Amino acid sequence: MRAPNEIDFWRGFALATIFINHVPGIFYERFTHRNVSLSDSAEMFVFLAGWSLRFVVTSPGQPLSAFRLVLRLVGRAVVIYAAQILITVIAIALIAAASIYFDAPPLLEWHNAAAVFEEPVATHVGLVLLSHQLGYFNILPLYVVLMTAAPVIALLDRASPWLLLAASLALYVYALLGGMNLPTWPVEGRWFLDPLTWQLIFVLGFLIAGPDTGLGRFARRHHRVLRIVAIPFVLAGGLAAWFHYSPDPLRVPDPKLFFMFDKTFLSPARLLHAIALVGLFAGSFRYIARALPPLGSYLSMLGRNSLNVFCVGSVLSLAGQIARFEYGGGIGTDTVVIIIGIVALGVTGWVSEWRDRLRARLGPQPSPSSPPQVSSPPASSRRAQPT
Amino acid sequence: MPSSSIAAPAPLPNVTATLEQRKTIRVLAIGSSSTYGVGASSGSKNYPAQLTDILEKALKGINVEIINRGVSGEVAKTTAERLRVEVALTHPDLVLWQLGTNDALARVPIDEFEDTVTSTIQWLKENKIDVVLVGLQYTARFARDDSYAAIRDTLRKIAGQQNILYVRRFEAMRYISSMRSQQTMVSGDDLHLNDLGYHCMAEHIAHAVIANLFVRRFRPPTN
Repeated sequence: MRAPNEIDFWRGFALATIFINHVPGIFYERFTHRNVSLSDSAEMFVFLAGWSLRFVVTSPGQPLSAFRLVLRLVGRAVVIYAAQILITVIAIALIAAASIYFDAPPLLEWHNAAAVFEEPVATHVGLVLLSHQLGYFNILPLYVVLMTAAPVIALLDRASPWLLLAASLALYVYALLGGMNLPTWPVEGRWFLDPLTWQLIFVLGFLIAGPDTGLGRFARRHHRVLRIVAIPFVLAGGLAAWFHYSPDPLRVPDPKLFFMFDKTFLSPARLLHAIALVGLFAGSFRYIARALPPLGSYLSMLGRNSLNVFCVGSVLSLAGQIARFEYGGGIGTDTVVIIIGIVALGVTGWVSEWRDRLRARLGPQPSPSSPPQVSSPPASSRRAQPT
Repeated sequence: MPSSSIAAPAPLPNVTATLEQRKTIRVLAIGSSSTYGVGASSGSKNYPAQLTDILEKALKGINVEIINRGVSGEVAKTTAERLRVEVALTHPDLVLWQLGTNDALARVPIDEFEDTVTSTIQWLKENKIDVVLVGLQYTARFARDDSYAAIRDTLRKIAGQQNILYVRRFEAMRYISSMRSQQTMVSGDDLHLNDLGYHCMAEHIAHAVIANLFVRRFRPPTN
C-alpha cells in the first residue's frame, strides 16, 4: 500500500464527513467543517475525484494510446455506475425492511424511495437511467456522468489544457445563465447536483493535479501568493456559514444563479470557496500527519479505498437514520451510530487492502473466464502525489 | 365532511390581487411525496394537476400554471433551501408546501422545524407570495406517535399565527379512513390517498382559493 499522503488524507476526510452529514439532525453534525465552510465535502470529493483522474490518465512510462485511454476511463465509469446501482438497491431494500420490521409504512417515502414502491414500472427505468436518485445518493450519479465525459476531458487536455479550461468554463457559464440542469424522471424535478456546472470543479481538480502544465504548474509556482489570496475567501465563506448568511435569491441581480450560494448549480461563491480551501490547506498534511499520526493513517486508508468506503458509508448513514427514527435522536443513539460508522468505514478500507495484498501475494492468475481488471485502479497501481 | 375542518380559511391576498390584474396564476408545488402523486394511478392525477383542472373550470378564463418540484422524503429544512431558489427562478404567485411527515420520521427537533417553517413563510410574505401549507398524512400507527402529534400541533399553530391557509390532511385522511367501508379512497399501504382522495384534497384547496377570491370580495369585513 502506498504511504499516507495528502490526496488520500483529504479524500478520506471528505468521506468521513459525508457519512456524518448524511444523517440529518445527528448531534455530531455540528462538529463537521460544513458549519464554518461555505462549500462542503461534496465539492471536496468531486475536486479530488478530478485530481485522481489525472493519475488514471497519466500512467507512468509510455503514454496510453487514445483508444486505450478511452477504454480505461469508460471502464472506470462502468464500475462507478455499478456501485451506484448496487448501493441504491441495498438502500431500497433497507428502507423496505425497516418499514416491515418497525411496522412503519411512512418510511417507504424516505429519500425519494416512494416512487420505487408506488410507481415501480416507470421508476425502475428511471433507476437504471440514473434519472431517479434516492436522497443522499446523488453524488455517484454525478461522478458517473463526469467519468463518462472523462475521455473527452482527457483528450482535450492532451490537445491543450487551456482549451479544456476554456471549454469547461464556457459550459459552466452557459448552464448557470439558463439554469440548465438534467431532468429527473418519473418524479418531475431536477438533478440534485447539476453535472453541467459541477463538471468545472472536477476539471479544475484534474488540471491542477497536472504538475507540468497549465494551471497545475501555475498553482505550484505561485502557491505562496495563492495561499495568502485564499485567506479572505476562506474567512468570508466561514463567516457566512457560521452566521447562516446567504444572499436573498429574490434580491440578487440577474443572472441570479451567479450570485446565490446554491449547491445544486455550484454557484461561483461556493466554487471559489472550495478552490480557496484547496489553496490554503494544500501542503498542510505533513503537519497534520506529524501531530496526529493515527488520524493521518486512518483517513488516508479511507481515501485509498474511496469507492468502497463511499458505498459502505452511504448505506450506513441510511441505517443510522433508521436507527434514529426507531430509537429517537439523542446523544446516546448518535454516539453509537458514529462509533459503528467510523469503525465500519475503517474495516472497509482495511478489508479492501487486505484483499489487494492477498491478490498481490498470489500473483496474477490468468484465466480465460475472469474479466479484465478495468476497475478501480487497484490502489497499489495508482500513483498519488502530495501537492 | 365540512370544509372548515379540513382547511382552515385564511386569505390569499397576493393571488387575489394578481387575478385582478391578469388571467394567469403560477403555482409552485413543493415538498414531500404526494406532491407528485404517489399512489395515484398516473402522474397527471396528482393533486397539483387536479387542482389546476378544478381552478380552471371554476374560474373561467383563468389560466393556472403549475410547477412541480416535489421530492419525496425530504425534511422541511432541505425543502426550505430549495424553495427559495425555485421561487427566485420561477416567480410563482402561490406556493403549495407539503411538509411534516419526514421531519417527524427523522426526529427533527420541533423548535428547529418551527423556525424553518416560520422564517420561510415570513420570507414568502415579505415577497408577496401566498403560501398554502399541506399537512402530514394520517396512518393508524402514527396517530399516537409523539413526534407526529408535535409536528401536527406546530403546523396548526404556525398557520394560525401567520394567518395562512393550512390543509389539515391528517384529519381529512382519518375521516376517509373511517369511511373506508363505504368507498375505497385510501390506496393499499393505508398511507397514500388514491385518485379519489387526491381529488378530494385538490377540491378543498380549490374551494379555499375560490372562497378567498370571491367571499372576500362580496362580503364586507366582519370587524
